[in-house]
Amino acid sequence: MAEQTAEREAPPPPPSAPRRRRLALPERIPVRGTILVILSIAIVLGVVIGTASTLRTGRFTGANWIDLVINGVARGSVYALIAMGYTLVYGILFMINFAHGEVFMAGAFTALFAAFALEEHGVLNSNPILSIGILFLVSMVTSMTVALLLERVAYRPLRGAPRLVPLITAIGASLFLQYTFRGLYSAQARAYPRINIMEGSWTMFGAAVARAQVVVILGALALMIGLYLFIARTRTGRSMRAVGEDKEIASLMGINVDRTIVTTFAIGGLLAGAAGILYVFLFNQVIFTMGFFAGIKAFTAAVLGGIGSIAGAAIGGVLLGVFEAVGPILFLTGAGIDSPNQLQPVVAFGILVLVLIFRPGGILGAPEEKRA
Amino acid sequence: MAEKVRTPTRRAVIIGVIAGVVGIYLAATGNILRFHTRNVLTTADGEGILQLSYTFLLLVILAAAYRAARGTSEQQPDPARRIGLGVLTGGVAGAVVALFVAAMKALIEGGLIVTEITPEIRAVLLDDILLFGRGLGAGSALLIGLGAALGAVAASVHLLDRNNRRPLMVGFVATLLVSLMEPLLRVIIEGLGVDTAWLYQSRGLTVTGAIIVFVVVAGLLTAWTRRGDLVRERVRQLPTQQRSVLRWSTIALFILFLLFLPSLAGLRVSEVLTTIGIYVLLGLGLNIVVGYAGLLDLGYVAFFAVGAYVTAILTFRSSFLVSESGVSVAQLDLGDKGFTNFWVALPIVVILAVIIGVLIGAPVLRLRGDYLAIVTLGFGEIIRVLVASDWLRPWLGGAQGIIAPDDIPPATLELRKPANLYFLILAAVLLAAFISYRLVDSRVGRAWAAMREDESVAEAMGISVIKYKLLAFAIGAGIASLGGAFFAVKIGSVFPNSFKLIVSINVLAVIILGGMGSIPGVIVGSIVLVGLPELLREFAEYRLLFYGAILVAIMIYKPEGLVPNKRRVRELHEVDEEEAQFAKRAGEDTAAPVVTAGGSDEK
Repeated sequence: MAEQTAEREAPPPPPSAPRRRRLALPERIPVRGTILVILSIAIVLGVVIGTASTLRTGRFTGANWIDLVINGVARGSVYALIAMGYTLVYGILFMINFAHGEVFMAGAFTALFAAFALEEHGVLNSNPILSIGILFLVSMVTSMTVALLLERVAYRPLRGAPRLVPLITAIGASLFLQYTFRGLYSAQARAYPRINIMEGSWTMFGAAVARAQVVVILGALALMIGLYLFIARTRTGRSMRAVGEDKEIASLMGINVDRTIVTTFAIGGLLAGAAGILYVFLFNQVIFTMGFFAGIKAFTAAVLGGIGSIAGAAIGGVLLGVFEAVGPILFLTGAGIDSPNQLQPVVAFGILVLVLIFRPGGILGAPEEKRA
Repeated sequence: MAEKVRTPTRRAVIIGVIAGVVGIYLAATGNILRFHTRNVLTTADGEGILQLSYTFLLLVILAAAYRAARGTSEQQPDPARRIGLGVLTGGVAGAVVALFVAAMKALIEGGLIVTEITPEIRAVLLDDILLFGRGLGAGSALLIGLGAALGAVAASVHLLDRNNRRPLMVGFVATLLVSLMEPLLRVIIEGLGVDTAWLYQSRGLTVTGAIIVFVVVAGLLTAWTRRGDLVRERVRQLPTQQRSVLRWSTIALFILFLLFLPSLAGLRVSEVLTTIGIYVLLGLGLNIVVGYAGLLDLGYVAFFAVGAYVTAILTFRSSFLVSESGVSVAQLDLGDKGFTNFWVALPIVVILAVIIGVLIGAPVLRLRGDYLAIVTLGFGEIIRVLVASDWLRPWLGGAQGIIAPDDIPPATLELRKPANLYFLILAAVLLAAFISYRLVDSRVGRAWAAMREDESVAEAMGISVIKYKLLAFAIGAGIASLGGAFFAVKIGSVFPNSFKLIVSINVLAVIILGGMGSIPGVIVGSIVLVGLPELLREFAEYRLLFYGAILVAIMIYKPEGLVPNKRRVRELHEVDEEEAQFAKRAGEDTAAPVVTAGGSDEK
């Protein structure tokens, strides 16, 4: 799906191209270019010096790093699953579904009450596989419902409006959903009841890996492969790609564009719901604001991998997770900064900003020059 | 988009179901339960007649039935039919709520809803409130019957002619507002030395009070509708020059009114006015960036934060510039106990914000539309996280922020009185409004308009897009930092938590509600979105919910805002026209939404 995005979306042109005249100094110093150069030098220097001095302190052992990386991959898989929703919608409608994070939150938060009910009746630990299945079902169905409502109420009336309009609606919808769920389910962070089989750890590659992390990574991987096959092999998947390519032509070919768009939102919602339960396996806690940051990070993942591309979103998600887990400690401890994990959000946002400035197409996106 | 033709009956049922779902939403989000103790209407002895909880449901059903009975442009039902439609809508809405109650009861019985408030939901919300304490059968019947009766009432409003309908409805809404603003109005009226027992009893409006308010408002409005057309007609016939004189004198009168407002309205209102003023200032700044230049900046709060923090560092005594040695570091002390005083700080604040605006803007302004929005959001969050971090704590105070201690310097203390601050903010607002007004039709403003319409074409016409974007960004940043400076003085402290993304979204909601690119729109938007919630404190919790709903609703139903800018209306309708033409060309056999595809990647 990467190519079609490249063609349809007028991408941000490259940073001001260098003047053709060689050797001659430009008549005036380009403000933008100068700032960009200084910015890149500062970042590279900061990262290199920080990393070197962190490694020199020797405060962290190899096992520490492996732990951090696996932790990063696990949370990255969750980002990747949410990122699928962004990427699918962007691939078809060329809009940022800013409220997708709330779709994710809705599922995880609603399933909490299913978990309470299951625990109350003792099913949660006597029949854990069934219980987890029910949790997935509740979460995925809720998220899908929210995603479909969102599409119907907030986005469909605005299809074809100038591009900023649906984005503003999406921001509004995001706020609305957050505070709706706050009203529905209370404002505090709430913990899921423990599921015994998810506790404990296995030893792999000479390091102890938490069971939950393994389940999350494998689960996300399976879902993403499933999605890839669905898009590549099925009839519905093909019509989704066709609609992404050109809506008018697709409709002339007998594809029901409206239904295809609804399907896209439904799939995005289902995956976000599944991501919600995986998130709970890792962090065990839900709150009504959790969708916002998860959403932004997933969006970053989608942009990092190249928005519109499924494989890109997967790679972007995992990379972002690892950066986030390893980055602050690796780059910042050596620079003498206390509690580097406080600055974790800066890593995600920083990557987002830098990718968009220097390579808006993302890792798997087409190089800028080739884009229309 | 072509709507499917529906029979009025079917339409009424659908609207009724939607109303029922809204009622369920209100019940499920806790609004019904929470506001059941708040009276809206009481007897003269203070006994509750109507609670806010029921008022919500009542309003929903009234609005739905009114809409269902209105008919569509093609079908105008006759009077008896209208009443029938209203009854149907109300009845369906009641039935939907009754179904919800039955389902909830079944789920609770089955042990599927296990939370700490389940008993309360069951006993109070379901049994006492929604079923009126009469059990499932009789309660449901009562719900449906009341719904149908309300539907009939709402539908019968259509039987009145237009000149009578409006005073009736406005009078109704005004009465409701007077009742809801009880905490504020009671204080104000009692402050004037007037007894309020005839008007308010136990937090609600008395029946007599309600009738008086209704009659006064409806009467005034009737008089105005009779006279209003005449006045408007006379103004229209004036020569251009006189009309412009009239316009400017209206504005002058308005400003004069604003100058005397704080002394008329008292302390509480003055405080609200300063808050509104800060938001107007922020709105005017963002209006230049979003409304004029068309750059959606979601990190706008960053400049607000820069303004507040720089002000705090420069003028607060607990800033690191002062506290290290106990006296001013650089002997710049101009009579205050901070590093310097507010008047010296102000220009420094603005200049710094402009520089930061250019530094942030330059790398990202090549991006278009939605990407720019997300990147600016990222920058805003980066700044907030950095400010809150332990790393920068020695300079910026970390999560605790910077607080002006008790021995506030005299100049700042004078400034912190709401009335004084109010005049300062008013002056800044007038300045910002004047700048905006002069800019919009200047060469710069026209360049912005061209850019907003089509960047590539603007560039081809020789407009340096980057230069003008940077200019918009810098002006916006400067104005926002002014707002931040006033905010720091007003609150007397700066915390990272005051500078969350939500501030950017609030300001965005303000200008979207008012109308992008419209200066009066910013003022109206701030009054509605910032002023009203401050006055209706009870609903503070729902403020953000309301903002979200406003953003969605305005974009769908009235994208040009409440007080639209003329040029903006034309731009928005241009899209409609294109769409209509396309629809005509596409013929009838293609699905309508398909043809709008071309529009989505224009910008």
